[in-house]
Formats: sequence, C-alpha cells, structure tokens
Amino acid sequence: MHALDIKLLRDFRRLWGQALAIALVLACGVMILLTAFGMHRALDDTLAAFYDRNAFADVWASAEKAPRPLLTDIAQIDGVQVVEGRIEEYLMLDLPGRSKTATGLALSLPESGELPHLNVPILRSGRLPAITAPDEVMISEPFALANGYQIGDQFAALMSGQKRTLTITGTALSPEFVYAIGPGSLMPDDQSFGILWLPQATLEATFDMSGAMNAVTLSVARDANVDQVRHEIDLLLDRYGGTGAYGREEQTSNAFVATEIAQLKNMATILPPIFFGISAFLVNMVIGRIVALERAEIGLLKALGYTDLHIAAHYVLLAGLTALLGIAIGWATGGMSARWMAGQYADYFKFPYLIFNVSYDAYAISGGLALATAALGAMRSAMGAARLPPAVAMSPPAPPRYKRSAFDRMMHAARMSQPTMMIWRSILRWPLRAGMSAVGLSFAVAVMISVGFFSYSLDAIKDIAFDQSNREDTVILFAKERPLTVLDEVRDLPGVLEVEGELYAAVKLRHGHLEKQLSITTRGAEATLARSIDAQGAVVEPEGSGLLITNRVAEVLDLRPGDPVEVEFMTGRRETHILTVSAVTEQFFGLGAFMTRDAMAALQRREPHLSVANITLDPTQEDAFNAQVKNTPLIASTVRVTDMKQGFTDSIDENISVMNGLFVVIAVLITVGLTYNSARIQLSERARELASLRILGFSNWDVSYVLVGEIMLVALMAQPLGWLLGYGIGALMANSFSSDLYNVPLVLPPAAYAKASLVVLGTALASVMLVRRRIDRLDLVAVMKTRE
Amino acid sequence: MPRSEIVFHTEALVKTYHTGGTDVHALGGVNLDLYARELTVLLGPSGSGKSTLLNILGGLDHATSGLVEFRGRDLTTLSDRALTRYRRDHVGFVFQFYNLVPSLTARENVQMVTDIAPNPMSPEEALDRVGMSDRLDHFPAELSGGQQQRVAIARAIAKRPEVLLCDEPTGALDSSTGVQVLEAIREINEDLGTSAIVITHNAAIQGMAHRVVRFQDGQISNVTTNDTRLKPAEIEW
Repeated sequence: MHALDIKLLRDFRRLWGQALAIALVLACGVMILLTAFGMHRALDDTLAAFYDRNAFADVWASAEKAPRPLLTDIAQIDGVQVVEGRIEEYLMLDLPGRSKTATGLALSLPESGELPHLNVPILRSGRLPAITAPDEVMISEPFALANGYQIGDQFAALMSGQKRTLTITGTALSPEFVYAIGPGSLMPDDQSFGILWLPQATLEATFDMSGAMNAVTLSVARDANVDQVRHEIDLLLDRYGGTGAYGREEQTSNAFVATEIAQLKNMATILPPIFFGISAFLVNMVIGRIVALERAEIGLLKALGYTDLHIAAHYVLLAGLTALLGIAIGWATGGMSARWMAGQYADYFKFPYLIFNVSYDAYAISGGLALATAALGAMRSAMGAARLPPAVAMSPPAPPRYKRSAFDRMMHAARMSQPTMMIWRSILRWPLRAGMSAVGLSFAVAVMISVGFFSYSLDAIKDIAFDQSNREDTVILFAKERPLTVLDEVRDLPGVLEVEGELYAAVKLRHGHLEKQLSITTRGAEATLARSIDAQGAVVEPEGSGLLITNRVAEVLDLRPGDPVEVEFMTGRRETHILTVSAVTEQFFGLGAFMTRDAMAALQRREPHLSVANITLDPTQEDAFNAQVKNTPLIASTVRVTDMKQGFTDSIDENISVMNGLFVVIAVLITVGLTYNSARIQLSERARELASLRILGFSNWDVSYVLVGEIMLVALMAQPLGWLLGYGIGALMANSFSSDLYNVPLVLPPAAYAKASLVVLGTALASVMLVRRRIDRLDLVAVMKTRE
Repeated sequence: MPRSEIVFHTEALVKTYHTGGTDVHALGGVNLDLYARELTVLLGPSGSGKSTLLNILGGLDHATSGLVEFRGRDLTTLSDRALTRYRRDHVGFVFQFYNLVPSLTARENVQMVTDIAPNPMSPEEALDRVGMSDRLDHFPAELSGGQQQRVAIARAIAKRPEVLLCDEPTGALDSSTGVQVLEAIREINEDLGTSAIVITHNAAIQGMAHRVVRFQDGQISNVTTNDTRLKPAEIEW
C-alpha cells in the first residue's frame, strides 16, 4: 500500500468522530431514498403483478337492473376486450358471537361456477361455492382471519328480508379489494366488512335478478380511449338506471393504493436532497479545516514531488471514505427498512404476495449521490490545497484579519465582555461559515416541524371530522332511498335517542371542461348531529337552492362562490341542472357537496327522501338495538362512528409516532453532525487562543463560554429560519399528501415550533458540551509550543 | 574537488515579495555557481535571503527575474507541472522542523518518496544509511528531534537525488544531536556523491563545507573555500 494511502486511512481513523457524524447525516439521505424507492417499487411491482395476473378491470359501471344480453352491446364498443356482468349487493350480516352488525359485499360468480375472467380472486383456501348449493359462500381472506373463520364455519346474512345461513367453502383475495373499505366507512375494518362470492343463481333468485345484472366490469385495449368507452357504456346503461361508469383512478381500492404509492415517491424526492445538501456543507467545512491544519504537510508533499492531482485526490478520497461509511450505514439500514416497510404495507394492503426486488438502481443512485455530495463538498478545499504554492504552504498562514466595524463600536457601547466580543467577532469574521451552519441547523428544525405537523393535523381532523361534524354514534344505511317517514321507524328501534336523516345523490359536477363524480349530501333543517364545519370550527350550512362545496372540489373544478355549476344526476330522473356555488367549506375525507333537503326535493320533483339516518344511542340498549337491526330489512348496514374514530386513531397514531420518532432521530443526527463538527473545528482553530486565555487567568468556564457561546448563538439564529422552512416544507408535504380521498390540513401550533427548537437546541448544547470537555484537558504548555 | 560540473547556475536572480502593499526584496541579484559533489554551506542571518534562494533552487518558488539553471536547464521557464517533476526526480529536501507526516511511521514517511521516485533505494536502506534501522516502525511522536531529522534525511536521500537541499537542518536540535545529523549529511555527500547545500545561521557549521557562501540583505557578501574541512564531530556550538 502506498504511504499516502496509509496516511489516508490513519487520518480517517483519527477523524472517526467527525467522519461518523457526517456519515450518519449522509446515511439518513441514503436510507430515506432507499426506503422510499424500495417501498415504492415493491408496492408498484406487487400491485402491477397482482393486477396483471388477476386481470384487474379497467372500467366499472353499476345499474339498477340491466338485462344480460346488453353485455353483447357493451362488448362491441370500440376498444372493449373482455366484459362481464355480475350482481353486487350489500348484505347485513349477523356473525355468531358478535352483537354488532357487519356488512358483506356479495358478488355473483359466473354461471359456469368457475372463476370470473376479470378481477379474478386468488383462492387462498378451500374451494369455490358449488353452483348447485345456494347457501355456500367464499369469503375474503382478511374477513375470515379477522373473525377467526375456518372452512365449514357458518354465519347469517340478511338477504332481501330473509335471514339465511351461509357456509364458508373457501377464502380468497381479489385485486379489486386490496384496500377493502365498507360502505360509509373511512378506514378498512376487516372484522365488520368482508367480500362474499356467491353463485350467480343464488343472487339472481334472492334479488329478483333472473337474467339480469346490476354491475359490469370490463377491460379495454391498451390504446383504447377509456373516456369514450365510459361514455358509451353510460349511454347503454342509461335506461337501466346506470350510475356512471368509472375507471381505475376512481375505483376505491386502487385510488387508495395509488395515492400511497404517489406519497412514497414524494417522500423520495422532498427529503433526501436536504440531507445531501447538509452533508456537502459538512464535508466542505471539515475538509477545509483539515487542509488548513495540514498546510505544512501539503507543502511537504509538493516539495517531495507529489502532483496537484495526487494532493487533491488525497483529500477528496478522505471525503470519499466518509461517504463510503455513510453509504454502508445507509444501505444496511435502508435495505432493511425498505423490506420491513414493504412487508408492513403488504400487510396493510391485502396483497396475496409481495414482490420485493432489490432495486439496484436505487442503491446505485443513492450511493452515487452520496459520493458525489462528499466529493462536491471536498472539492473546493482539495483544489485549494492542490493550488497552494509549495513555498507558501510550508510557511505558517497569515493570522486571520479582523476588521474594525460599526459593530465593534456597538459591542463596546454595549459593554460586552472580551469573551462575548470574541464570539461575535468570530461570527462576523466568517459570516458565510456561520450562515451555512445556521442554515444547516435550520433544516434540522424544519425537518421536525414539517413532519411533526401531522399529529397536530390529525388531532384537528379527529376533532373537526368526528367530534364536531359527525356527532352521531351510528349511521344507519337504508337498503334503498326512503321517504322521511322512515325516521319514525328508526325512532322505534330500541335505544335510539336522536334521529336525523340524510340523502346521498350520485351526481357528476361539471364546470367548463372539468368534471368530477361525487355525492351531494342533503340535510334537513333539524340536523344537529351531522354538520359541516370549516377549519376554524364554524358551522357552514348550504343556503337556498345553492350548492355548498368542499375546498378540494372547488380546487379540482376551479369553482368559486357565485359560479354556476352543472349537476347531472346519475339516479332517479337523471336530469341535469345548473346550480350556483353558495360557499366553500373544508372537509378532510373525500369529495363533498351539500344542499338543503327542500332544494333537493324541488330539483328531484318528489317528496324528500333519505339514504341514511344518523342516530345517537342509549349505550345500555346497544345489544337490543343491534339484535333488532339484524332483522330489519329496510336497513342495509350500520356504521359505528365511534368505532371508526377509534380505528382511525389507532391506525394513524401508531404510524405517526413511529414517523415522529424517526424524524426526531434525523433532526438529532443533523444537529450532532453540524454542531459537533463546528465545535471540533472551533476548538482546533482556537486552541492557542483559548489556552492563552487560560494562562491569562480565565477560568475553564470562561474559556468554555467562548466555544459554547458561539455555537449556541449560531444555533439560536437558526431557529426563525427553521420555523419558516418547516412551515414551507410542511405545506409542501401536506399538499403532496392531499388527494381526492383525504385532505391533510397544515396545522402548526406554537408547541410544534417549540418542540423542534428544544430538540435541536438541546442536542446542539449536548454536542458542544461533549467537545467542551477537551478544554479541560488542554495541555496549556504543549498548545503554546505548537508551531502554527 | 573537481569544479568542472556545474549543478546550479544563477544570474542576476531577483525575488521580490509583495506583502501588505510594500515590496520586500528577498533576493537582490544573486550570481552563483554550485558544483557536483560539493557540500556548500549558505551562511547568514535570518531574512538574508538564503531560504529564498534554496526554495527557488529546489523548485518550490518562482524567481521574480533573472536566470536559474539546473544542469543547463532553465528552471524559470518551467511550468508547475514540470517543476513538480523536477523536484520528484532530482531534489531531496531536509527542513528545520523535519516535516514528517505524524500519522506515518519512519519507514512509511520514507516510503512517501520511494512510492513516486523513478529509481529509489528501499526505505529500509535509506534509514540504515542514517542509522535508523532499529526505529523503522516508530511514529514521529515516538522519536527524538535528532531521530526525526535523520528520518527526514533518509526520506530526502531515498530517491538518490542529485542535490540535497537542507534548510537549517540542525536549527531545532541541540549540539550533540545536531552533530549526528550533520554526520549523516556528510556521509551522503561523500558516499553517494550527492551535492549538498546546507543553510544555517550557525557559523560553527561552516567548517565542514567545501565552500561557504555568506548572505547579507539578499546579496552574496562573500564566498570562501575551506582548504581543510572539519569533521562534524569536531564542530561544537
């Protein structure tokens, strides 16, 4: 090994503390990049494979009741490849040993008794129900697991007013229900919602659908115009009560998974550049100092005949070794966390398998970026070292030039102590270095704020979405729309205290060329349980004949209060009306629009109807209520809002605390990387100065004050910038996490800023105190003898 | 002492530094010839220009004007790259403060040179020549000042240089260790035939030189030849 290489390795070993501090920051960038990339790719590949192998459909459409021969017409639409008709019905389930109700989505299997050609379920256990056995059922695997069902177990379903006992013959997973969410729910709940595959004959007979279907799924050619296909299907289904065909992007399960995948991609692009930027600065700072310290050695190397390239390469390699350490740590942790997280996702989403391909490109990209970052950071100092003329390098550097400025007069006027003046002078002497350190630290603050806001946002969502907007205990979903008198029947159910009704009307909203499919919710004037609340907590209600829309709808359709909007009803008379936007409100889940019950009844030209009833319950009568509901045919299912809130809290809280913890660690690593290195460099630059102070009779504490004071002053100056950056990055993240499915508000109370600042300042203090101990050990005589 | 072979030739050599808005004339027109196999002592007080001359001869610094030739080759016209090549192939340096790399052992410090020189001796041989064979794997911090300087000399001669340039080689040493170092320089000069130029402000050392060149204010004040040379052991200060 060459002597210069030996020097390199020994230098690296000597600098291990500083190198490690830098390497850890770099490792964060590499790790996040690998994790996000790895998860993104795993989800993307798994989803693509599942969709491909199991023929995930391209278009879905529902109708009230359409004759099966219509399938031939649909098949002839240009671009359609495979089309299948089926019967879909939500069933109220009575599960043994469970007093609460559950809901099943019944899907008919083809008449042949074989698997369908589209959205093919993967059989996980058992077999398909026999076509001749009307009471056999195959259920979704998560539903079976959550309820502990085995093949041969039985449960009851309310089918068309009749309670039937079904026997489980098998379990399956379907590409249509990777994210299975029950009607009226916000989150998947495998215990209370499942998919049931039943023979076609069973559903035809039960729901009076002989020779008919109420749902169509189809696949299209790669180059087909999906919008055109949808339009033509809508035309064909129009007279059979079609509710509008939709594509993959509106298919609930796919929309949720796609949103998640997009978020991972955002994470991979927003965060790593911050870490790489800070690392480049750290490397620059440390290598710059090493070059300053090794000035004489550089001169010597030149005197011995080493070329500029040799010398520049030597220092770039030193940075390269640091990068390699960071890459090794980043790859190890990133590889593991990508695999682990992908596993978590596979579990959360119901995939039959997980395709985790090691993405060599992600390893290469992250490694390459880390190396480039370190090289870039080292380059300036290394080139400077190489350019030093040998005779100059071997003579001691000129003492730093301090200048008198107006600031000096201010410091004098403020009667600052000498050590305090030393602190300020040093910052003013190297304003770029102090500034860059402050910017680096501000990123540590920003990283914490920009992730920390999630828990505040979710608290706000919980408060507004549940405690203030949806104050009902339970939502009762009617099997079909009912006139207002249904509320009397609901009121007669055991334990019901308060009752109010809502109607959901499926519509297409259009503004210019923009279009969105959603439901308009109508409420009566009596509504006190379900309300629209804006982000400030004020109640906002629709007025007159106007349409109240949520901010996401306003954004997507480019609508403002006073704008006209075209409303095409997908059910009933299927008329199109022009309404006026009366106001815009905030809503966190899904897309929404609201109008008054009277205005809706006038539009529909019928007496007011209801789709759901919101109720409050006497808790002591809950079991009686549930028992009664399970035998009430007018009710399709019920949703426990309190369970939903709990589910939401449980699933989110766990993720949030893991994520918050992770980002505290990251903020700490950035802070340690910056302050530890700054302090070491300060100490090395000022060893003589500080030793001189000690010799002059200043106490250890006085001397430490100069070192600690400067670092902490820079850290303090970093805070306001960190708050600002944190707000900015937070807004970016909130925006990137918001979709048609949910809207994440940016909520940042003062506590969020305070927490981030406390962590960063505390860590900075701890790091600098670690270096400060070296002051106690300063060998005063040796330091003063050291040749500059 | 044969005088036919000129190693260094300077004519009207001037070096001016500009620092803080004032010009400092380090060398004010130096004319000098230095010969092969000669041991020359450059004597003079601090700031008299001896180190500046040595730096220019060694290719560490550029002259402001005038001529410097190494074996008939004009050094003033050489690019930085060519100067690097020149230092690597022909010149050995010894500095007052040894300038060893603290993170490398004695052997490795010498290896720094043998790694890049065209026809080096082994680090072990170089260290043996300065009597340091038993300290091969010691780090500089584990060596005395004299030992460090001997390692520095080993490092300088390991490439079999044509000239050995020594800037105050004994400046940081006491008399008895200084003598050991001078002994090593004399042996290299005699055994390997390497021209040696030794800078000192210690007049006692001049006795060991073939020729003594005295500097004053950037000029050569006089040149004398020693008919009888002292052995380093006979020198005391």
